[in-house]
Amino acid sequence: MAGQSAVERISALLDAEGSPTSNTSMRLPAALRDAAALAVAELGVAPSATALTAAALRAMLEAIVMQAALDQHYQHYPQAHPDRGDLAIAAAQLDGHPLAAQPERLRQAAVEITANHPAATPDDVLLWAEARAMPAA
Amino acid sequence: MTHLVILDNEAVQALASPAHRKHRQALAYAQVIASRKRRAADIQAVVPTTVRVEAGWDRTSPAWAFPNRLRITDIPLDTAAASTAAAIRAQTRVSVADAHIGAVIGAAQATNVTVVTSDPADMRRIAGDKAVTIAAI
Repeated sequence: MAGQSAVERISALLDAEGSPTSNTSMRLPAALRDAAALAVAELGVAPSATALTAAALRAMLEAIVMQAALDQHYQHYPQAHPDRGDLAIAAAQLDGHPLAAQPERLRQAAVEITANHPAATPDDVLLWAEARAMPAA
Repeated sequence: MTHLVILDNEAVQALASPAHRKHRQALAYAQVIASRKRRAADIQAVVPTTVRVEAGWDRTSPAWAFPNRLRITDIPLDTAAASTAAAIRAQTRVSVADAHIGAVIGAAQATNVTVVTSDPADMRRIAGDKAVTIAAI
């Protein structure tokens, strides 16, 4: 429950608009700081290194909150937990990938890749299925 | 590369209710989005606010706690979007919520736009000339 409470609090903090800024004592590796400054100055990826850091931190926290919510949901409804085949199909559909029309091929690829790579992502499965679908040279 | 994933009414219902026959499929989309966010992909799930109205998604209600935790961003029906949606509705006779989805598609700056929907034909009509991927739920 403590974890769930923390997730809800983090989520609420992420939603807080117009939150005041504060200086932090966070220590960044100097090379990372310099890389961020260069990306801002030369590539224009963000208005400032601070904005770049805040955006990256927000994105990672959002991913953490989202995954925690899903994991808690799977605990309550284990039958709803998508398997790797389901996830590969979802990934293909979200991308409009041609293999989305061949769900059985994606499920087979999921079985094959999981045998050697248990931590394979849905995108790994999709890539494997794509490679398998290519005609031999 | 940015990827915007827009949910329609059925997608919201499927995500929210473990009893919905497409719940597992809706979770698969959410899981893929969470996994990609974790790997720093610029992907965001959104819901037009009129879709929320149609689906009955009250963010203050405990009944909607789970989808609230999934970091799905509201896209409000502002003045410009209302005009665009009104024009789409006049042309296509779709629902207000679907017309709002059309306005969101039209205004999207993302590299990729995907609509998770139970009505692919209507979504293609409201998208007009805009390139959009349809994930049928």
